[in-house]
Amino acid sequence: MYQFLLTKRYLVSKIMPLLAAVAVILCTAMVLVVWSVMNGFLTMLISSGRTMTGDVVVSWPNAGFAQYQELIDDLRKEPLVKAAAPVIESFGLIALPDGAKKTVRVRGVEGPSYAQVTRYEETLHWRPISEPVEKDVDREDPRLHSISGTSWEEVLDNGRRLVRKGESGRVEPAMVMGIEVSEFNRRQIGGFYVPQQAYQALPNGEYAFVDLFMPRDGKVLLSLAPLDASGRAVEMVSRNLAVANEFQSGVFDVDSSLVLIPLEVAQDMLRMNAARRVVKDPKAKLAAGDGFDDPAEKLVEEPARVTDVLVRGSMDVFRTQDAMQLRAAVERVYERFAERHKGVVPPVHSINILTWEQQNRTMISAVKKETVLLLVLFMIISLVAVFLILAIFWSMVAEKTKDIGVLRAVGASSAGVAGLWVSYGLAIGIVGSSLGLCLAWTIVANINPIHEWLGRAMGIVIWDPRIYYFVTIPNKVEPDKAVIVFVAGVLSSTIGALVPAARAALMHPVKALRFE
Amino acid sequence: MNDGPASSANPAALRETASDACLRVENLHKTYALGRVKVPVLRGVDLSVAEGGFTAILGASGSGKSTLLHLMGGLDRPDRPASGVSSIRYKGRELAGASRSTLDAYRARETGFVFQFYHLLPELSVMENILVASMVRWGLAWPAHRGAATRAAEELVEHVGLSHRKRHRPAELSGGERQRVAIARSLINEPTLLLADEPTGNLDQKTGETILEMLLSIRAARRLTMVVVTHDERTAARADRVVRLVDGRVAKA
Ligand SMILES: Nc1ncnc2c1ncn2[C@@H]1O[C@H](COP(=O)(O)OP(=O)(O)OP(=O)(O)O)[C@@H](O)[C@H]1O
Ligand SMILES: [Mg+2]
Repeated sequence: MYQFLLTKRYLVSKIMPLLAAVAVILCTAMVLVVWSVMNGFLTMLISSGRTMTGDVVVSWPNAGFAQYQELIDDLRKEPLVKAAAPVIESFGLIALPDGAKKTVRVRGVEGPSYAQVTRYEETLHWRPISEPVEKDVDREDPRLHSISGTSWEEVLDNGRRLVRKGESGRVEPAMVMGIEVSEFNRRQIGGFYVPQQAYQALPNGEYAFVDLFMPRDGKVLLSLAPLDASGRAVEMVSRNLAVANEFQSGVFDVDSSLVLIPLEVAQDMLRMNAARRVVKDPKAKLAAGDGFDDPAEKLVEEPARVTDVLVRGSMDVFRTQDAMQLRAAVERVYERFAERHKGVVPPVHSINILTWEQQNRTMISAVKKETVLLLVLFMIISLVAVFLILAIFWSMVAEKTKDIGVLRAVGASSAGVAGLWVSYGLAIGIVGSSLGLCLAWTIVANINPIHEWLGRAMGIVIWDPRIYYFVTIPNKVEPDKAVIVFVAGVLSSTIGALVPAARAALMHPVKALRFE
Repeated sequence: MNDGPASSANPAALRETASDACLRVENLHKTYALGRVKVPVLRGVDLSVAEGGFTAILGASGSGKSTLLHLMGGLDRPDRPASGVSSIRYKGRELAGASRSTLDAYRARETGFVFQFYHLLPELSVMENILVASMVRWGLAWPAHRGAATRAAEELVEHVGLSHRKRHRPAELSGGERQRVAIARSLINEPTLLLADEPTGNLDQKTGETILEMLLSIRAARRLTMVVVTHDERTAARADRVVRLVDGRVAKA
């Protein structure tokens, strides 16, 4: 009990150990801030990744599978499933108005069903807005001003439906591309985009000036490589598509390489639509009167196919186990579906059914590893605090030698005297870690204003949205992480006090009393 | 005079005093090593202290008085002698080879120490300095004894005449006042043996006399056995028995 009394008195009367507490405050705050921000970053990454692909995907790449509409109807009956949408995934080449060519990921979607499984509509960037985005103090966002030749309402609606009015006034299928694909938009610090002029290099060494706004007057030549019915690649198919809108998912990788086109267009270009086709079948026997010269050729009725069906869960499936549960439900539905269409669609053991996390394993694990690396680095730095406490306590034990002798003289055991220093270390740890947690919470909760202030006052922009592609820095402290950091802070202060405590315990009482 | 019972030449006398001796030391040796040089300080001290008696230990500076007191108080252990065994017996219990916890308990329950330089804890108030000894004694059971201990401490503070300074820190007290706090602290656990190492050595003559009177009246009231190390012949004159340390032994009278 005397340990608590003395700890209490030492805490308020000694300056040096308070410096140790400051070190504990700084270390715990630093670790917790880094952990919270990195974890928030991961959370944002996962949720913005899900904005474009849904929670679970059923996928049979390249060839695709038929009867998908029936599968989607089945899936919609499953209580765990909120919505399902057919999609075609492919790669393609686009030629932009300035002559630039780019390989892109092409996704054929039906606007409305795709919007049900993903947050597609929210990602459409060009839309009417009434208030400037938070960091757009000078109202530079073009969406705040009127647009000539069309309206923001029309551009948004075009994006939803993947259409655009052609020159003749007819509504034609159109493309929605990632906002970074064309490189005609410049991202501002506030996270909004301003269209910029592009220059087209001419053979004579001069530049032509390309002034257009893609969702109003941009057209893109898209080339895709279809497969024939036996899976062989045939000649590329190209088609001119108007641009309806541009999307911003928040993940640079997606925003710079994905384009969306209407599902029928993708099916048509990739020969995955429902059609009667002539196919070569080496096993086919010549049938009387079918009119072909080659006995192996025959006319078949082919159903439409898609490569993927995207599924959205009825609850928020952010946690891995929830996503796995949804995946299992999808698998059961698919199994029954495949049973009904044996020999027509891939069996359940061949088809890929993946959660979003499984699909993006490499990217997610990279960020997770980065977080661990940073934490390890900061924990090593935190060892400095442990040694600081050790050094300060060591000299305090020396300073208090006589008091230790007095305590021994009135009957304290050496373990009791050691306990005094351990409980003092514990107290420093509790005080330091508590204040450290408060500091971390204050910093994280206000990280965006602090960051902005740093940017304004000193020109330091640590979190450049042009690099991280998130407009705001994550600003949540998770309680379980706070608890872990608190316990670690208290433990390491206590560990720092152990060696000086042992020194106090080993002190000879008479020598301690005679100490000058 | 009865100051020569330690002589083993007279077994009858030894037996006689042993019956009412509560503290008996025999053949105590202590040698300090200063580098390679050995400094023998105690070279076979034999001494017995009668229960309820007041023994004064005199001797030249450096003769080993404090060393002897520390041994008697269980703060240190005697050396193993070259011949025979050394022994410190308190009320029949052997302390020379006792375990650490036995010595800790002996210091906490049986003895009270008063030092020349008071040795108060500077961060604690007068009351806390007294109560800290009680906290040490009771350990985790302290809360159960808190009320009684606080009342006892109040009485002691009253008795040593410091009721008006309970909340003061040692730095705010005079030397005599500090020594009175130290005396109160040494008594809070109701010891049976009071060990004082030059309790008046750091005080002026008048204050020293007051402190001595206080110790004597407390001894009488509580029937304490008291051993006081002193340089002061006047203090020695008040003792029942005076022991002189010469050449690491108790000098024959
Ligand atoms: N830790 C130690 N190492 C070496 N020598 C020591 C040590 N402690 C005490 N001594 C020596 O032992 C001798 C006896 O010391 P002690 O303090 O017992 O003497 P004392 O009789 O109390 O003297 P004083 O009257 O001056 O207080 C001294 O000569 C001292 O130098
Ligand atoms: Mg001395």
